[in-house]
Amino acid sequence: MIFIVDDDRMMAECIARAIRAEDSGAETKIFRNGIEAMAAIVDEIPEMIFLDVLLDGPDGFTFLNELMSYEDTEKIPVVVVSGIRFEEQSLKDYGVVGVLDKATMYPEQIRKYVRKYTGKEKNGGK
Amino acid sequence: MESEVNGILVAAHELKAPLGLLRQLALSLDMVDERAERKKIQTQMVSISDKALKQVQDLTKIARLDDGLFEVEPVAIRAVCDEVTEELRYLFRFNHRNLEIDYRNRSRLVMANRELLKSVVYNFCLNAMHYSDEETRSELTLQDSGGKVRLLVRDFGPALPMDVWRSLKKGWVEKPTSIAMRPGSSGLGLYIASKFSQYMNANVGAVRHRDGTSFFVELPISKQVSLF
Repeated sequence: MIFIVDDDRMMAECIARAIRAEDSGAETKIFRNGIEAMAAIVDEIPEMIFLDVLLDGPDGFTFLNELMSYEDTEKIPVVVVSGIRFEEQSLKDYGVVGVLDKATMYPEQIRKYVRKYTGKEKNGGK
Repeated sequence: MESEVNGILVAAHELKAPLGLLRQLALSLDMVDERAERKKIQTQMVSISDKALKQVQDLTKIARLDDGLFEVEPVAIRAVCDEVTEELRYLFRFNHRNLEIDYRNRSRLVMANRELLKSVVYNFCLNAMHYSDEETRSELTLQDSGGKVRLLVRDFGPALPMDVWRSLKKGWVEKPTSIAMRPGSSGLGLYIASKFSQYMNANVGAVRHRDGTSFFVELPISKQVSLF
């Protein structure tokens, strides 16, 4: 399962479509903010997370800190998807494995991260 | 000069989001085969474009306010509200929100410019949609208030920051701020609504609630006999 945390529902659906394209077999869940996502993590640890930074309520960094603080979530790969430019290097300490610019990213870039961190290839399965 | 540059930066930032989203939706079209899903994406693209175009048009109007091109005349306020709520119906439904309308005003005609008033209502409603929690409602109310009609849009979300509330207490927002008023907002919509209200000699303001915010504009009642 891959979590997408973004308060812009249309953008979140675009990311989900990119992940599910080409029958990768990957499943997605969309959350509007970090609080909802954190509550869901109690029941299900996602394979990876695509995270927006400017969210309603606590921002993405608060969510990242929360993830880092628990032993069962600290290693979840997180890709930051934002309209703000971040250097990937500067977010490494937060467990961030990649940064995508919302405005200019391509679906294939999203799928590359999915393949790399979940092992899900085209046409399903690992 | 500095505030002008700041305003341009805020406007550019505000318009970047819909452009980026349009690009992603366009790319999405390649990934769906179902006709219904393609239709949904197409509707979203039109809706996002409309919203962004309105913002650009409003910014252009602000620049032309000093030319006095926008005549203030008797306007049927309920008809304006109906028009806006119809236009926003899709966006509210898509975002799992509901806009409830309550017309209690006996006076049907107000002194306003139709175009500018429509933008004020549009920006208030969009703002309420954005800040209301999912599966909750926003409320648009019209009521008589002394010699005026008060148009009030209430959301159920985070409270308005104190500094913005203070600014509105004075009757207008001086400039859009580059620091988000509430998450995901530069306050551009509120700035536009404030500018247009000021032009129409209408009072604009906000009420802070424990569970959200109401924005209102008070427009003078027209003495002309209403046919509506």
